[in-house]
Amino acid sequence: MKLNVDLTPRTEVPRWMRYGAPVFTILAALLVSSFALIALGVNPGEAYYVMFVQTLTTEFGLTNTIAKAVPLIFAGLAVYLPLKAQLWNIGAEGQLFLGAIAGTWIGLSVSLPMYALLPLMFLGGGLAGAAWVAIPALLRAKLGINEIITTLLFVFVAAQVKNYLVRGPLQSPTANFPQSSQLPAAAQLPDIPVLGYPAGILLAIVLVAVTYLVINYTRLGYEITFIGANDKAAEHAGMSKFKIYLLVLLSGGAMAGFAGVSELAGVQGRLRASFAPGYGFTAIPIALLGRNGAVQVMLAALFFAVIFVGGSSIQTLLGVPSAIVDIMQALIILFLITSEFFKQYSVAITLQEGADAGAPAKPEGEV
Amino acid sequence: MAGLLTGLANATVNASTVLILAGLGELISERAGVLNLGVEGMMLVGALSGFVVTFLTGSYWLGMGVAITAGGVMALLHAFLCISLNSDQAVSGIMLTLLGTGLTTYFGNDWSGKSIEGFPEVTIPVIGEFLVEIPVLGSALFQSTATDYAALLLVPIVWFFLYRTNIGLELIAVGEDPETADTMGVNVFRMRYLAVILGGMFAGAAGAHLSLAFNGIWSATMTAGRGWIAVALVIFARWEPARMLLGAYLFGLFNAFQLYSQGLNLTLSAGTPLAGFLNPILEFVMNPTIMSTYPYLVTLLVLVITVVRAENRELAQPSALVQSYSREAD
Amino acid sequence: MSDDEFVRMENITKTFPGVVANDDVSLSLQRGEIHGLLGENGAGKSTLMKILYGLYSADEGEIWLDGDRLDMESPQDAIDAGIGMVHQHFKLIPRLSVSENIILGKREPAAAFKPGTEGDGGLRSALTNNSLLQGLATRFTLGRDEPEAEIQQLADDYGFDLDVTASVWELGVGERQRVEILKALYRDVDLLILDEPTAVLTPTQAQRLFETLRRLTDEGLTVIIITHKLDEIKDVTDRVTVLRDGENIGTVKTSEHTSDDFARMMVGRDVLFQLEKESVSTGGSVIEVSDLHADDDRGIEAVSGVDLTINEGEIVGLAGVSGNGQKELAETLVGARDTTAGSIEVNDTDVTNSRSRKFIENGVSFVPEDRHEDGCAGTLSIMHNAAMKAYTDTEFSDGLRLNYGAMREYAETLVEEFDVRGVDDVRNINAGELSGGNLQKLILAREMLREPDLLVANQPTRGVDVGAIEFIRERLLEQRQAGTGILLLSEDLDEIFDLSDRILVIYDGQIVHETTPEAATRRRIGLKMNGAKQAEQSAKVAADGGSSDR
Repeated sequence: MKLNVDLTPRTEVPRWMRYGAPVFTILAALLVSSFALIALGVNPGEAYYVMFVQTLTTEFGLTNTIAKAVPLIFAGLAVYLPLKAQLWNIGAEGQLFLGAIAGTWIGLSVSLPMYALLPLMFLGGGLAGAAWVAIPALLRAKLGINEIITTLLFVFVAAQVKNYLVRGPLQSPTANFPQSSQLPAAAQLPDIPVLGYPAGILLAIVLVAVTYLVINYTRLGYEITFIGANDKAAEHAGMSKFKIYLLVLLSGGAMAGFAGVSELAGVQGRLRASFAPGYGFTAIPIALLGRNGAVQVMLAALFFAVIFVGGSSIQTLLGVPSAIVDIMQALIILFLITSEFFKQYSVAITLQEGADAGAPAKPEGEV
Repeated sequence: MAGLLTGLANATVNASTVLILAGLGELISERAGVLNLGVEGMMLVGALSGFVVTFLTGSYWLGMGVAITAGGVMALLHAFLCISLNSDQAVSGIMLTLLGTGLTTYFGNDWSGKSIEGFPEVTIPVIGEFLVEIPVLGSALFQSTATDYAALLLVPIVWFFLYRTNIGLELIAVGEDPETADTMGVNVFRMRYLAVILGGMFAGAAGAHLSLAFNGIWSATMTAGRGWIAVALVIFARWEPARMLLGAYLFGLFNAFQLYSQGLNLTLSAGTPLAGFLNPILEFVMNPTIMSTYPYLVTLLVLVITVVRAENRELAQPSALVQSYSREAD
Repeated sequence: MSDDEFVRMENITKTFPGVVANDDVSLSLQRGEIHGLLGENGAGKSTLMKILYGLYSADEGEIWLDGDRLDMESPQDAIDAGIGMVHQHFKLIPRLSVSENIILGKREPAAAFKPGTEGDGGLRSALTNNSLLQGLATRFTLGRDEPEAEIQQLADDYGFDLDVTASVWELGVGERQRVEILKALYRDVDLLILDEPTAVLTPTQAQRLFETLRRLTDEGLTVIIITHKLDEIKDVTDRVTVLRDGENIGTVKTSEHTSDDFARMMVGRDVLFQLEKESVSTGGSVIEVSDLHADDDRGIEAVSGVDLTINEGEIVGLAGVSGNGQKELAETLVGARDTTAGSIEVNDTDVTNSRSRKFIENGVSFVPEDRHEDGCAGTLSIMHNAAMKAYTDTEFSDGLRLNYGAMREYAETLVEEFDVRGVDDVRNINAGELSGGNLQKLILAREMLREPDLLVANQPTRGVDVGAIEFIRERLLEQRQAGTGILLLSEDLDEIFDLSDRILVIYDGQIVHETTPEAATRRRIGLKMNGAKQAEQSAKVAADGGSSDR
């Protein structure tokens, strides 16, 4: 008896699979995570209730979720845009640090009223983030050096640059901690009047809309999409891989820079040595979940924001270490990759009688 | 001065063992064509599992064994995703690091703050007494734990494995050109699975070294990015074991400098010409935080130089690295 | 199985999506013969041999070797059965040495563990007889020195000028081929398959190869050579099997037939379509090419000095067997490949080594050979693919924005005008979902409706269903009527004859013949395509007394 696994490449992905995959992925991740919860003696139903329902139905939870979502949306876009051209911006976290650094420096050194200072900070942060990805971008566009490794290396360098600065040039003169001075009020992101949500969400929504428009309505978006789909044919069509690669990576770097500024100016208030939100890495599953469009990226970012906020809730309320969120993140990626496989191949498992490579005897299951 | 040098040597060698272990594993995996970015996660899993088992049983050898197995199991998942499912190797690796970090932080909470008797420092029987007396290097190299010695021994063993065995030849072939290897009758899938799992086992051992020999404690952040440095190290070493040993010492030296930077006042005295100009630069360059970027910067440099200068682009890296393979792909 | 029969492939059928590569093919090889496998590209020769070597598995059919039925699931099985293959595209690992490439996979243990070497003490027999130890030794030791010496000896014996300790990346192409051959010889094969072995050899080297092969067959080796070169067939084979369109046309004794006969068998006489071809007055030149040289992807020169002019309103058919440089030539003419020497002028504008955008702007359109790799983005919609060349035109783009509404209409126009079937909404269907014929029609529509000055079409009807073939050919003629200069590359001689105003033949990177459909005979073209030197005499004979064959 032989177990035969037959793989047939699909020519098209069934509708239900294409749109259902993210949903199945999340459900599967939640299911497996519940085992970890049970292992610590926590009722998964209770935990998920706190994590999702409570977070979304209380004012406190909702505000926090939006606040968390802002940098996640920026970071998600930072990975999503290069991904459209089949490039992996794994270094978004490092670009995020540089954005925060630039934002801190500008916020502390320039005295301007808020409506001028904040935009300036964002501008500086975006430029810093773009600058930080420039070298890996050039190496990829010109020499074909894999951007996964290069952007990743730059993340660790960025972390140390941040550490150095908050212990040195940017260190607060008043306290002896490795952190910068508190940003002046003018440099802190305000809340939207009435609603009470952080103002950063407005910029995030704008950027989502801009990204959506660029990808779907402009010539540039067309070229990016085409190069991502088949770079050889794209070159036949006269498109410039060099230009596009540079453009998407630099834009991605800028957005990651925005993420850094928004987190700094909206939540942190000062740059600390311990600042390492990990949004640049969370951005990877966000971009994968939101692969089909900028709006989906935003939704995925919101979802993760809920998980993060919910995660710290269950830590306080139920004593579950917030690391459960990391586990869930990892599981989401795991099931996403697995679903990628099922989207590409249909699998038929059969049992065969004897050793003959003859016709399959009993079809077992087909996905 | 001699004390300082001895201290530096000690710190260098101590810091290098982890890198050697994790690096060797990553080297084997990448030589077969599979990038493993999950080293950090596998190290943490190895560190925690080794620690817990040692704490519960009192046997650090058992702990090490469990750690190695745990690393191997995680790597099995990576292998399955990348080799059988043709998933993106980078994403799968990062996922495993996240998973490993998450799992160990989550379950490791109860274990922080506890400590164990780990691997003791021993000297080589018979000649050990004399070797330790060698100035500077003696105590650094010859008064170490079993895992330190094992790491050093593993370098020539892995070298022999890669370059002087049939399996090693096939492994290299699979990482260069899996299609050709397939036509020569080499089992590409089995070879890649083997390499990746070995890589995970080494990573698990590296993690266990940290919690069982280096520190004797567990903390959620104890790997401190060493897994990533190991990935950089393999690139720096251009995928060769001997170079990797040197690289591990170099990176370890950077680490040692960081620890001793207070004592090493390498600035010029006020009277020397250009002191005013050079001193701030020297201070910057010797700043411990800045120094911790050197492994990465140096790796980047080597990567670029290798690609640019390769008289034959075919040799810059294992040619099939990061590419998945399936027969009848057309 | 008769006494002399060594290999038998029976009723082999192999299908790939959309095409039947081998259609009920049977083949029989005699022991100790050199057997030629002849056919045009797409005839199924490579596929058949890959099945014989275990790289592919046949959908139907059986293989018998020396009376035993073979059940091969991988090349390892073929190797175990004593079958060796020398591939057209070398399967060598540059980083490793020659000897390492050759011993790869054989798992020879170090000398100490090898049975049969000197000494027969207790330890020795313990080492060689213990199966566990042998298992370990074959894996964890490397028998290199002895095999290396053996291989060097083998190389010297056959006159290969090789240092087997050298790394392969240091070797030139001819040397690498010799390594490929050595690889098979070292395995002690009984059957040796060679795939286009002289493609990269000089005539002298080819002769040496043939001598070697003859010597080997004298010693009992059976050889089968895949080739399209008629000279080779006559030079070295004992018998020949001709494949055409996936079928076995016949097996004959080489000595009993002429190159003409082989050309005829290879190329067939299917006259499928009668097309109305009106005469069109040709205009000025749309492209002028002078002494063009270009390398292929491997760095070997593929275009070796081509002069070419194409005029308005004419179809120039370029006939040739795949692998003679026509693909590379086509790519240089549209800006998809750089040239190493020579010049290209389109409409009196020098575009030598310009980027493809410049060619496109100067009115050059291209239908590539590989529609999926180079011609479209399979995962994107019809609409996206339709606009691939046109998206910079003002009607679609004002520089920043892209008018998707206009693009959709454009795509719909293409689909309608060129009868692309299977499309309900151009935005929802992906290019990769179309059948071969429909995708080709879409690509043609895209390239033709731009009203190009020059259209280069490489194998436009290959792998396309009959209805679509007819459609495509008619449209090519229409485009010619409209004044476009067309370079048509095709392995289908019928197509060349039916559509061309002028016919060029390419062989080994050069244009070796220029003629017109009226003046040419298919036989002669076939001969020229395959490098036959006898073409001159045969043509004279045909012109004198024979009928003109189409």
